[in-house]
Amino acid sequence: MNRLKAIGRILGRRLGELLILLFAITTLLFFLLRLSGDPAAVLAGEQAAPEQVAAIRALYGLDAPLPVQYFRHLRNVLFLDFGQSLHAGRPAIDMVTERLGSTLMLGLFALTLTAVLAIPIGAWLGARPDARSRRVGNAAIFILQGLPGYIVGLLLIELLAVQFRLLPSIGNRGALSWVLPTLTLASFLVPKLARVVAANVTEAMREDFIRTARANGATTAEAVLRHALPNALLGATALISTQFAFLLSGAVITEWIFAWPGFGQLLIQSLQRLDFPVVQAAVFVTAGLVFAVNAGTDVLFRLIDPRLRNQRA
Amino acid sequence: MTGTETVLAIEDLTVDLPLSGGGRFRALDRVNLQVRRGEILGLVGESGSGKSMLSLAVLGLTGIAGERITGRIALLGEDVLGLSPSAWRRLRGSAVGMVFQDPMTGLNPVRSIGSLLVESVRRHQRLDRATSKTVALDALRSVGIPSPEARMKAYPHQLSGGLRQRVMIALALINRPSVIIADEPTTALDATIQAQILDLLRARLADRAGGILITHDLGVAAEVCQRLAVIYQGTIVEQGQTAEVLAWPYHPYTQGLLDAAPRFDRPRGRLVPIPGQPPQPGDRREGCPFRSRCAHADEACAALPVLAEVAPDHLARCWHPLRAATSPFEDAV
Amino acid sequence: MSVDQAQTSPGRLGTWATKFGGNWMLGLGLAIGLLLSLGALAALLMPLPEAFSGSLMTRFKAPLSPGYFLGSDQLGRSVLARLAVGMPWSLGIALTASIIAVGVGTAAGLTAAARPGLTRRVIQHFLDTVIAFPALIIAVTVIALVGRGFFPLAVTLGLATWPISARVIYAEGLSVMRREYVVAADLLGVGLARSVLVHVLPAVRPTLLVMFAFTFADMLIAESALSFLGLGVPLTATSWGNMLSESRQYLIEAPWLMLAPAGMIVLAAVAFNLIGDGIALRSRGRSRSAG
Repeated sequence: MNRLKAIGRILGRRLGELLILLFAITTLLFFLLRLSGDPAAVLAGEQAAPEQVAAIRALYGLDAPLPVQYFRHLRNVLFLDFGQSLHAGRPAIDMVTERLGSTLMLGLFALTLTAVLAIPIGAWLGARPDARSRRVGNAAIFILQGLPGYIVGLLLIELLAVQFRLLPSIGNRGALSWVLPTLTLASFLVPKLARVVAANVTEAMREDFIRTARANGATTAEAVLRHALPNALLGATALISTQFAFLLSGAVITEWIFAWPGFGQLLIQSLQRLDFPVVQAAVFVTAGLVFAVNAGTDVLFRLIDPRLRNQRA
Repeated sequence: MTGTETVLAIEDLTVDLPLSGGGRFRALDRVNLQVRRGEILGLVGESGSGKSMLSLAVLGLTGIAGERITGRIALLGEDVLGLSPSAWRRLRGSAVGMVFQDPMTGLNPVRSIGSLLVESVRRHQRLDRATSKTVALDALRSVGIPSPEARMKAYPHQLSGGLRQRVMIALALINRPSVIIADEPTTALDATIQAQILDLLRARLADRAGGILITHDLGVAAEVCQRLAVIYQGTIVEQGQTAEVLAWPYHPYTQGLLDAAPRFDRPRGRLVPIPGQPPQPGDRREGCPFRSRCAHADEACAALPVLAEVAPDHLARCWHPLRAATSPFEDAV
Repeated sequence: MSVDQAQTSPGRLGTWATKFGGNWMLGLGLAIGLLLSLGALAALLMPLPEAFSGSLMTRFKAPLSPGYFLGSDQLGRSVLARLAVGMPWSLGIALTASIIAVGVGTAAGLTAAARPGLTRRVIQHFLDTVIAFPALIIAVTVIALVGRGFFPLAVTLGLATWPISARVIYAEGLSVMRREYVVAADLLGVGLARSVLVHVLPAVRPTLLVMFAFTFADMLIAESALSFLGLGVPLTATSWGNMLSESRQYLIEAPWLMLAPAGMIVLAAVAFNLIGDGIALRSRGRSRSAG
């Protein structure tokens, strides 16, 4: 019962955060759009005739006083009504949500690949950080960390799609087209996670309980895998929320590079077209995703960390 | 249970550690110790005297790059220094068990008590999971942990310090090792818990194993150890039956430790600290290591004295022992 | 176990590095950083016509062609000259954005450290919320609204990323505040603001420098990423990110158009990461030898 109550409290707190975040974002976007000029002109597009601008102004209620507009806007947002896409003429929120699956699948693949690569690398690097081979490995990870993911993406395209023509580099057409985007998105995350796991493993390996395990006959591999790594991963879990933000940023760029029909590509396209209803919907959905992941992490953390598991909140 | 079987014999154990500025630091210098089955040997010294290094050396867990270990460490007659790393590893937890000082940090916070115990059992004994669990339960019961079934699922943070140290002892004993080394097992505990843990160690060791109890506390040593070795700067300076060493110390350092220890049978205000500081690693060290702090030191002490028998089964390493090398009983008269 | 580490870490390179007054990371990073800064200054002062105009005759010259060390682009402009011209944009935006991010971050972090209670809780909550939100999405959206350009970009990037600095500075500031001399100053009646400025700020300086170097590297990458997305510096300007963005169309016939700016971005980012790690290592070493 206590556990349920604690989880409820976590969700409640995160929900409060989400509301504040959504309110702040909505307000920011609302006023930025108005500060940056005549929103009706922006909405109508650059070649619009004055009558068209006037029509848009009336259509979107932009002739009303600012506070009225603001509260009307807030109310609409509350019902997830972001208006019609200026480009496609369809409800903006629908356009965003139908693209979401593609992005989430890409993110899921990339995360899986990241974990599969980064955890063993991190454990290997962290187990004996002073060994020469590990120092070379550390230097490599260090340089990879300075290598922006989109450059990795371009290099992958150059190498595997352009030079060797092994893999498709544009769009989502069949299983093979997942390879390069997944690799690219994972390349954003692998060096970071590997470094965190390595640092945590190194720290854990200095703990007294590792000596206890060794005094009971544990091999080095056992000490690392069964005693240091669980602690290290638990520590790394705390980073999920910041890393998820990073993952989303990476997804936007990756989708752009590979013309991946996901929500990141839609966001950039809409920004370039100044299709604001879609932009607002996309940002709103991002906030929702962030909330879901953070709340999920908190709950997960509470379920897997024995130090928290049986505690009252 | 023959009282005379030697389970651990350390002969001329010398450990040299490299210093960061170059050169070497002798952490242990030709140490000789024997532990017989059913006996607890107390190893007493200040921090930095090398007493913990000795326990790690016996376990093969010093793990310092560039270290040099010479001599002989015979565990049940077999010299572990000559063993392959994996053969030596298999002895850890099975032939020799270790109880560390701090039960707060010594148990993995994300592993349940039961999983730690079962892991150790299954590593050293070919038992299935269910039997291992029974063994683990028995081990918890044998160290006096109430409701062991519930404790198996518990995590270290859910237990008190005293209970955690009992778990550490259960872990050290679970594969019935012949030698137990306990490094300051009660230092991190409340005074009332200390006595319980010491009783437990004494009871568990008496029936089947020999032990080394490492401590800085002469009172603790007096309570549980049959024999005592006093170590200073990596050198054994005095060794003998506990009662005798404490009653009739020959080495000025042992006397100093006694004078510096609080005792209930003496009026207050008579604690006498040992002057000076122990030398630092890297200091030039020749002759008697204690001479810079010793009131009796003279030119003779520039050479290292031998560990000589000053009374039957009583050794001291001093040019100027505090009493003539005779039978303590004559001295007392 | 410090004996252990001191024993195993330094090789010959290590001893050389110690003599270098810190470590090789810091030395190498600073050397590259200095070269880049000088290059940026030179590019500002020197006219580089070959960066802006070319002819069809000089299109797509491969690297190492005479007069075109790194080749030429689709308009026959020298890639090397364009890299140089892009330097002030890329480095300048990264510098301005880092100053804003670390400056605001320090102010907020130290305020939270110095003022327990409501102020701290509000700041902490705010930081947690903003950090969880993808900074890139904030930045591209704001840029699209306020327009491209040097200052819009720098300010937006700075304001989108300061919470990360704030969180680090807050943690560091808090540990300094708990040290005794600050407590003592507090007891002596030194004002809070004064004691923060006099005691805490100097004590967190190494952390500030480290954060600055890391932020600089991140901003450099962020600027090029935004430009790459077409939402960074003006499309007519020359920045490394713009060069990358244009290069995508010519990956087959002129891969050097992509490789040259990519190489510069990586070089600069690695250099500033090296500086950050170097300073971190050095200040840790110092405090160890002092303590």
